[in-house]
Amino acid sequence: MAMTPDAAVRKRFEDRADVQLRKRHLPLIIGRATDTREARRRDIFAELDLPGLRNAAEAVRAHTVANLHTYLDRFAERAEARGTKVFFAATAEEAVSYVRTLAAKRGARLIAKAKSMASEEIHLSPALEADGIEVVETDLGEYIVQLAKEPPSHIIAPAVHKSRTEIARLLAAHHGRSLPDDPEVLTAFAREVLRRTFLEADIGISGVNFGVAETGSLALVTNEGNGRMVTSLPPVHVAIMGMERIVPSFEELSLLLPMLVASATGRPVSTYFSFINGPRLPDEVDGPEEVHVVVLDNGRSKILGTEYQSILHCIRCGACQNVCPVYRQVGGHGYGAVYGGPIGAVLTPLLVGFEKAGDLPHASSLCGACTEVCPVKIPLHEQLLALRRDVAREQKPVVEGLAFRAWSTAWRRPWGYRLLARLARAGQGMFVRGGRIRKAPPPLSRWTNRRDLPPVARRTFRERWKDR
Amino acid sequence: MERAAFLERVRERLSGVGGFDLPSVVPLTPASGNGLPPVERFPIELAKSGGLARVVPRARLAEAVAEVLGELPSGRRVVVAADVEPYRAEVDAGLEAAAAEVVRPPREEWRAEAATADWGLTSARLGVASTGSLLIVPGPETPRVASLLPPAHLVILPVEHLVPGLEQVMPVLTSLADASSAPVLITGASRTSDIEMTTVMGVHGPKVLRVLLVE
Repeated sequence: MAMTPDAAVRKRFEDRADVQLRKRHLPLIIGRATDTREARRRDIFAELDLPGLRNAAEAVRAHTVANLHTYLDRFAERAEARGTKVFFAATAEEAVSYVRTLAAKRGARLIAKAKSMASEEIHLSPALEADGIEVVETDLGEYIVQLAKEPPSHIIAPAVHKSRTEIARLLAAHHGRSLPDDPEVLTAFAREVLRRTFLEADIGISGVNFGVAETGSLALVTNEGNGRMVTSLPPVHVAIMGMERIVPSFEELSLLLPMLVASATGRPVSTYFSFINGPRLPDEVDGPEEVHVVVLDNGRSKILGTEYQSILHCIRCGACQNVCPVYRQVGGHGYGAVYGGPIGAVLTPLLVGFEKAGDLPHASSLCGACTEVCPVKIPLHEQLLALRRDVAREQKPVVEGLAFRAWSTAWRRPWGYRLLARLARAGQGMFVRGGRIRKAPPPLSRWTNRRDLPPVARRTFRERWKDR
Repeated sequence: MERAAFLERVRERLSGVGGFDLPSVVPLTPASGNGLPPVERFPIELAKSGGLARVVPRARLAEAVAEVLGELPSGRRVVVAADVEPYRAEVDAGLEAAAAEVVRPPREEWRAEAATADWGLTSARLGVASTGSLLIVPGPETPRVASLLPPAHLVILPVEHLVPGLEQVMPVLTSLADASSAPVLITGASRTSDIEMTTVMGVHGPKVLRVLLVE
């Protein structure tokens, strides 16, 4: 999995979170960014029937995913009829190998990439780079994290964890010149260097926000215009699409596009909605000669038919990240995975397995803010709770299980309860500081490393009752 | 993987899953039309996305074109797409008055010309009043690059092409599926907030968008 260099060696969420929490400026930056977005989201829906909109959006997604095989078939049929090549990739390896083969066939040396979480998920860029191809991220935020050699930290604001000074230093170092920390100047500079990439690239790679089954079209949502660039200027366009990213027809997009953009940024629409119907038509002036769509399973079909099916309804707006108290403290990198925040804490263990990511469902306070804000009504916090149960069933933590069973046996009997309380009272003395237990011996230290505990009272209720 | 095998796997997993219906009623979305007349609403909404629109009678179109070009300190090299041909006389008069260099490139030179031009001049299929969006439909004579590469974009749009909301665009997009390879809905100027949430215009696409609504 992609991780920040310093978090890479740390396997557990709580250890990665420690690394992130030591960056003291981080909660401030992320807090400001996420607060702004959340406030704008609330504003735009204030005068509208938000419950009704969420019900409708949920219905569209539930209907489509429940009939996914039919709609995917139709999508592929129509797209191919229009000259698009559709490849079905069961695994990340199949998807990567398809793109590598295509790049080799085209003799590609430079690839311009628009933002795509799916391509992050399959680690496409490193594979292409290993083949000697230069891959350039063209979304400004993605370009910044690429130069920093870090993964994106937020679904729609990949560089949200970087300050302007850090960004100025990065760009300056990479291009060997000095730059002020003024966003206007930095953006203009990026425009200039990335413009060359667009014009010279052999292949453009993008993600897909929605695939339209009725017409075999792709819908792409961007604000910068790089999505239009990579799908228009290079001779080949490759789109990587998670297989659930389908809608029945354009009609549903008049609901889902505003729901996506408003939930993400608080605006009704983004600057560019690109609709790709296929390669350049014979009489058209410009556009790519070839369009390829890679439809990606990579663990998604395993989720269908389970209680977690609705996680595939996600439209990737990032609203759940903006309101999550855990995400707001540790940022996307704390999750050690491509998808961070509540959506990532549910999706990642389901995609990559409990072995690798079984700790992520615990990266939540279960406050339910994510569920409340989700535009397609995914019960995220309930799924997090269910996943904790499933992970425990699979991993069977024996010692913890025995300890809790012994505890429960003891507390079921009044004398057992009294005995344990007395033991705790006798034993806690050396750990209480300022009225709280701040440091307990192992294994309880895993709790007290990050939290404190109230001590057991000096006298029990029964003792006080007797002396009354 | 073969498409059939891939889809069969999906079908099997979904075999026990109940059917859900598409919604019968959809409330107004943030991009729906409201009671305001489109010609009044379009400029208001576009201004929120960093673009400017104004209504001009056809008789004053030439003058308006010259004014728009004169407003900005940018260069005056203008690539003109063929979809503004219905207004050729007015456009040419306006560009001449602004002392602009007018380029109507042949097909194979469009890209190079657009990459160095200061302005792209196009029309649009539709204007969406609720959001200030323009539906641009590249085709045989109108390239994608005209509205993409120049740092400034001027659109001439007959007011009859305005629709109230995003809902009215969808049937048009459906009908375009075989007619254009890449229709695009453009709302305002290219923008980014990737550096500390500071909004900056003109990151990859045009920094300036001006719309003349012709009566």
